[in-house]
Amino acid sequence: MIHTPLVRELRARLGAENVLSAPSELAVYDCDAYTIERRRPDVVVLPQSTQQVAEVVKLAKRHDVPVVPRGAGTSLSGGCVPLGGGVVVVLARMNRIVEIDLRNRMAVVEAGVPNLRLTQHLAGTGYHFAPDPASQAASTIGGNVATNAGGPHTLKYGVTVNHVFGIEAVLGDGWIVRLAPVENPRELDLIGLIVGSEGTLGIVTKIWVRLTRDPQDYRTMRAVFNTVDDATRTVTRVIAAGIIPAAVELMDQGIMAAIEETMHFGLPLDAGAMLVIELDGPAVGLDAQQERVIEFCRDCGARELLHAADSRQRERLWQCRKSSGAALGRLSPSFLCQDGVVPRTRLPEILRRIAEIGRKHQLRIVNLAHAGDGNVHPNVLFDDRDPDQVTRALAAGRELLEACIQCGGSITAEHGIGIEKVDLMERLFSE
Amino acid sequence: MTTDALPLTQTNAPADAAEVAEVVRGAFRDKMPVYPIGGGTALDYGGRPTAPGVGLSLEKLSRVIDYPADDMTITVDAGLTIAELAEHLRTHRQRLPVDIPHADRATVGGVVATAPSGPRRYAYGTMRDYVIGVRVVDGTGMEFSGGGRVVRNVAGYNICRLMVGSLGPIGVITQVTLMVRPMPEASALVVCEVGDFDAAERILAALVHTQTLPAAVELLAGPAQQQGAVLGPMLESSAARVIVGFEGSELEVDWMVGQLRKEWSEAGISTPITIEPADAAAAWDWLGGLPADVQINVRPGATVAMIEQVLRLDSRCSIQAHAGNGVIRVGWSPSQTPPVALSPSETPPTTLPWRELRGAAAEAGGNVVLLSHADDRQLTARDVWGPPGDAATVVRAIKDRFDPQGILNPGRLDYGS
Repeated sequence: MIHTPLVRELRARLGAENVLSAPSELAVYDCDAYTIERRRPDVVVLPQSTQQVAEVVKLAKRHDVPVVPRGAGTSLSGGCVPLGGGVVVVLARMNRIVEIDLRNRMAVVEAGVPNLRLTQHLAGTGYHFAPDPASQAASTIGGNVATNAGGPHTLKYGVTVNHVFGIEAVLGDGWIVRLAPVENPRELDLIGLIVGSEGTLGIVTKIWVRLTRDPQDYRTMRAVFNTVDDATRTVTRVIAAGIIPAAVELMDQGIMAAIEETMHFGLPLDAGAMLVIELDGPAVGLDAQQERVIEFCRDCGARELLHAADSRQRERLWQCRKSSGAALGRLSPSFLCQDGVVPRTRLPEILRRIAEIGRKHQLRIVNLAHAGDGNVHPNVLFDDRDPDQVTRALAAGRELLEACIQCGGSITAEHGIGIEKVDLMERLFSE
Repeated sequence: MTTDALPLTQTNAPADAAEVAEVVRGAFRDKMPVYPIGGGTALDYGGRPTAPGVGLSLEKLSRVIDYPADDMTITVDAGLTIAELAEHLRTHRQRLPVDIPHADRATVGGVVATAPSGPRRYAYGTMRDYVIGVRVVDGTGMEFSGGGRVVRNVAGYNICRLMVGSLGPIGVITQVTLMVRPMPEASALVVCEVGDFDAAERILAALVHTQTLPAAVELLAGPAQQQGAVLGPMLESSAARVIVGFEGSELEVDWMVGQLRKEWSEAGISTPITIEPADAAAAWDWLGGLPADVQINVRPGATVAMIEQVLRLDSRCSIQAHAGNGVIRVGWSPSQTPPVALSPSETPPTTLPWRELRGAAAEAGGNVVLLSHADDRQLTARDVWGPPGDAATVVRAIKDRFDPQGILNPGRLDYGS
């Protein structure tokens, strides 16, 4: 066991049951959902209060040991991997919903509260927490803050930073700062700076989040197209008409085939792309909006159109999108879920480039996109037992992100930089 | 434009970002303060400048660089006026949904640096929610950029957020990329008057659960609002007005107006008036451009109690509150006759009682910012911001990194050093 004096001090402060240092216990924390690179921490702590987090940081600083915060460990870019060893601070036990305050349309939560738990807790109030990343059943709100997480609804409702207006955090010297839940123009927008800083500026322990009114009603549609260009043109037409859908999810031919191979929804295998479009808002306007969207789909060559008549059908339309992760899991021993973003109108171009990259590296790459804001998730399928495939998968991932930069985009829209993309930052920001 | 608020020895108007950088590099060498100037509409906002220096006008940087309307983004030079921006966006039925006063003169860069907001912030947020990319010249004359031209981007620190409302001390903004939104088809406002502030709070609390989706929730009170310009005078027995604004498709707006009237009628709120779509634009403009001398920020639920305290301190104050957001804008009108004798004091104060306001706001967990006042030029020479919070040391450290000589807008933002 390394750093024994540190471990001893940590145990004295936090209680032995909140400090893990046996190799078997530490192994769980050697990676997150990005499994390609691993590093075991020297010690893991599970603090239960902001004060305890501050004590841990101070001790680590005194022992000159790095600190890496961790929520539920769902990062897809290695955001929780302690590359330099040291202390991993797991915030999962700081999981209290401190306050629900509907009059002020806000909730106060500790960092370890899982995203979905807050929304479940709010059921029946008419309000919800808008950011809903795919990981929301597990991922913590603290983790959402660290990565500025998104989800399918960001075009209309924004990302995490648009819903956070107060933060308590422990800075690198163990100092606890509280950035007020009331706007103060004399302060720079430090909250905006900390959200998305991936734990590099401090450990967020408590968060004041804005709550969003539940939509009165929904209209959900699924449209199948011969080409990605047709699907993208549809999205452009919808937005040009002043309609901001709650969600526009695009699936390309590859992912439709992958879903069909494992789930058998009856998706056409020769189609180029599929869109799941959801509208929400006051019920009175939705039918007219839906009619227009259907008209745009037809104009752009949709060959198959379904719309949900009730909430059960809505669930079923969403099912084909939501089951993609499971489908990929069954199809391939491993897959690298990439995260790139381009101006929305350049989606066809980036998908063509991604296909070329897949051919070049002889890897199957299938794509999902939050098409409304140009966020594409290429999934690179590979076998992690084959070192050559791992090398090719990493190379392909890197090349497709470089292609995103060349298309005027960026290397991450919602997963974060983590350890995966650090070396691409220079490419993105140097001109 | 008047630049009286700034102690300028001369003013440069560089032609592009490279020339801006050159001016700042020179100032950095000479340790000469630099005061960036946009449309000059908010030069008296913030602390008083502490030393003479050169003005840096961005007026020649006024191009639209890229407007891919289908992507709902626009990249512009910092010196483009808000009115010109709106004109471009209008060609594609788009807009920046932030209320910005003096749009004919205010510039995009200036608006990013000062972050004004208005009634629509209830539904659409503020500038910080729309700036997705910036190009900036720091205090050493080095150009840097943050963000990009995509609406969703989490690569690296959110430099854009750091620039919004920063009042210039991080760097001179030369270029901005904004996310924009579709222009709504229709809008309308529903207005009611209340006899006392308890009733006002009941209405505001009930609005949290309305079936409608308000774009704005405003409260007006005090003598200037009593006279009521665009909305007409209030009843003598009324203490305040609550205004709920709606935007959306014609169907939606029509339904929301009817629904709110129904909800209010069921709650016993009598005779609300509706400002129909044809007149709504004028009402929005008026609400978005009302001047103020002091801004109080509290939690939304503390708004009404705070307003009562303000009027108790000086009943000649006029109030516009973005009540759904806890933003209270106070106009001090010493010449006004108070409509209701809320103040027990015999001799009204001769100056705005800002110290007392600050104490009351602090007790409510909020803060007070002194803006400006035509009748009281010394107002902003006082303590514009109040006591520093937890963030001051961090802000200072950031400022020192971007502007090591402290030459950018010295004095405007005070760091409690």
